[in-house]
Amino acid sequence: MLKRFALLVSLFVLAITPAAAQQAPIKIGAILPLTGSGASYGVWMKGGTEMAAEEINAAGGIGGRKLEVVYEDHAADASKAVNAMRRLVEVEKIPFTLTSYSAPTLAIQPIGAQNKVVMMNGGGQSDNLANKDYLYNNIPVVSNEVGVLCDWLTKEKKFKAAVMIVANDEAGRNSAKSFRERFTAGGGKVLAEEQIALDGNDFRAQLAKLKAQGGDLLFISSYGRNVAIVADQARELGITIPMAATSWVQIPEVLKAKGAQGLLTTRLPFSPDSPFARKFKERYKTDAGFFAVQYYSGTRIFAAAAEAAMKKGGGKLDGEGVKNAIESIKAFDTISGKLVFQPNHAAVMDIEVGVLKDGKVEVEKIIKAGQ
Amino acid sequence: MDLALQLLATGLVVGSLYALCAIGWGLIYGTTLHFHVAHGAVFALAAYYAYVGQKLLHLPLVAAVLLAIVGAAVSGLLIDLLLYQQLERRGAFRTSLFIASLGLLILLENVLAIVFTPDPMRMDIGALNTAVIIGPVFLTYLHILTVALAVGGYVALVLFLKRSRWGQAIRAVSSAPEMARTVGIDLNRVHLLTYAVGSALAAPAGILVAMDVGAEPFRGTRFVLLASVGVIMGGIGSIPGAMLGGIFLGLLENLGIWKLPSEWQAAISFGVFLVFIVLRPRGFFGRTIHSAEI
Repeated sequence: MLKRFALLVSLFVLAITPAAAQQAPIKIGAILPLTGSGASYGVWMKGGTEMAAEEINAAGGIGGRKLEVVYEDHAADASKAVNAMRRLVEVEKIPFTLTSYSAPTLAIQPIGAQNKVVMMNGGGQSDNLANKDYLYNNIPVVSNEVGVLCDWLTKEKKFKAAVMIVANDEAGRNSAKSFRERFTAGGGKVLAEEQIALDGNDFRAQLAKLKAQGGDLLFISSYGRNVAIVADQARELGITIPMAATSWVQIPEVLKAKGAQGLLTTRLPFSPDSPFARKFKERYKTDAGFFAVQYYSGTRIFAAAAEAAMKKGGGKLDGEGVKNAIESIKAFDTISGKLVFQPNHAAVMDIEVGVLKDGKVEVEKIIKAGQ
Repeated sequence: MDLALQLLATGLVVGSLYALCAIGWGLIYGTTLHFHVAHGAVFALAAYYAYVGQKLLHLPLVAAVLLAIVGAAVSGLLIDLLLYQQLERRGAFRTSLFIASLGLLILLENVLAIVFTPDPMRMDIGALNTAVIIGPVFLTYLHILTVALAVGGYVALVLFLKRSRWGQAIRAVSSAPEMARTVGIDLNRVHLLTYAVGSALAAPAGILVAMDVGAEPFRGTRFVLLASVGVIMGGIGSIPGAMLGGIFLGLLENLGIWKLPSEWQAAISFGVFLVFIVLRPRGFFGRTIHSAEI
C-alpha cells in the first residue's frame, strides 16, 4: 500500500516537474538612469519596458513563461552599473539585460560577454559601443548622428567657427570627437572646447571662457538636465550665438528651458501622436518620448529572440541562444518600423534635423537611414 | 579683458557663498574647536527647509527663507546638544568628535537623498534670475543678492560679537575658555549659541544655491571643505579672515582658469592652499596653527 502510494507520488512529481519549470518566469534585467541628472530618460525607459512586458505577459508570455523585469539604477555612474550587472548575473541569473548610457554600458559589457548575457542598449551612443561581443544597440552610434548634424550646419546653415562645451564622460567626449572631425571636414573650424562635469550645475566659468573665444556656434556635447543648465547659463552670460546639440536633448527639461529655444538639433524619429505614445501618456500621466519607444522595442526584440531560441533549444533559454537568435533574425519588426542590426551590432535609423521652438522641434529635413 | 571681468564677478559671487559658510564654520571652530564637518549637512538641510516651505507648505518665498534660517539654527544647536556635548561629557577626544561629525554628515546627506531623491529640487524665484548687464559683465539679481547677503551676514555677525553680551561671551570663550569658565560663563550654553548663530549663517548660502540651481543632498560636503580651507587661509579665530578666505577661494577658482583649462579649477584652489599653509601657516590674520588644532 505504502509502496504503491510512494510510486504514485513519485510519478506525480515527475509529471509536474517540467511543467513547473516551464511556469517559472523568465527574468531579465534593466539597468537604467532612474535617479540623477538623467532621471527623465529613466522614466521613459522604465515605462516603455514595463508596457512591453505587460503586453507580452497579457498575450501569454514567452513560450508560456511570464516575463519579469528586474530594474536597477546606475545614476549615470559606471561603477553602480557594474554592481547592478553583477547582482543581475549572480543572483538573478538573467540571460539578457537592457542597458543604457555609454560609460555604464561599456563597463558592464565584459561581464556580460564573460557570462554569456546579452545586453541590449537603446540609449547610449558612443562609437565605442559598436562591435562588442554580446552587446547590441538598437540605436545608431553618435558619429552617425553628429555627421548628419554637421553636414546640415556647415553646408546649409553656413556655420564656420564653433566652440564646444563637453561633458567629461564617455558619451560627451565621443560625440565631441565626432563633431570636431565632421565639422572640420565640412569646412568649419572648432575654436575652443571646455569640459564640464555631468553632475555639475554651475558652468558659468567655462561658458565665460567660450564667450571670450567668439565663434558663430556653440555645440553642446552633453546630455540630461545638464544641457538645460548650460543653455540657460549661456544666455544669462550674454552668449547670443546659436546653439546645437544631438537628440540627447529631447527631454522635457531641455525642451522647456528658456535658454534652449532656437537650439539646432537632430532627432531620432518619434511621433507623439502614435497609439503607443497615447497609451503611455494615459498610463504614466506624462508625455512619452523617443526613449520610451526604444526600451519598449528592446524588450520586444528580446521576446522575439527568446521565443526563437527556446523553439530551437527545446524549451531551454540562455544568453547564448538569445544571441544566436538575434544574429540569425537580424531584422526585427518594431513599432517604429523595421530595425536591422548592422554587422557592427548597432542599428541605423532615419535622422531628423530641426529647430527647437516653443518647446517643440520643428523638423526641417529628414535624412533616411544610412545616407 | 572682458573675460577677466566676467570671471572676477562670477568669482565674487561664488566667493560670497564660500564666505557665508566660512564665517559660520570659522565661528564654530574658533569657539568650540570642533572640526564640524556636519556643517555641510546643515547647509543642505537649510536648502531643503526652504524648498519644503515654498513647495510643500506653499509659503511665500521670504517666509520660506526665514523658516529655513530658523530651521538651520535649530538643527545646528541640536547637533551640538545631542551629539557633541554627549560625547564631550564622556571625555571623547577631538578626533572622535570629528569622526562622529563626519558620520552625521554622511547619514544626513543619505537620508535627504532617500527622502527627496538625489535630483535637484528647484525653487521658484520669479524675477530674481533675470540677467543684469553691467558693462561686459552678465549677472542675475540673485547673484547680486548673494554678494549683498554675504556682506550683510558678515557685518551682522561682527556687530553681534562686539556689541551684544552674548556675542562678548562667545568671544571670551573663543579666546580663553578656562578664563571664561572661571568668571562664570557656562561653556555649554555658549557653545549652543555659537552653533545656532554659525548654522544660521550657513542657511543663506544653502538657500541661495538652491534658488540658483536646486537643492541637492550632497552639495554641502564641497562647501564645508572649502569653508574650512577658507578659515585656515584667513587665520583661525578671525572672522574677517574667514570672510576674506572664502572670497579669495571663489576668486581663485574662477580667475585661475583665465589662462588654464577649466579642468584645473579644483587643483588650482587646493594647490594654492597647500603652498599657502606651508609658507604662511598663520593665514591672513590669525594665530599660528598648532598641529593639535588640525
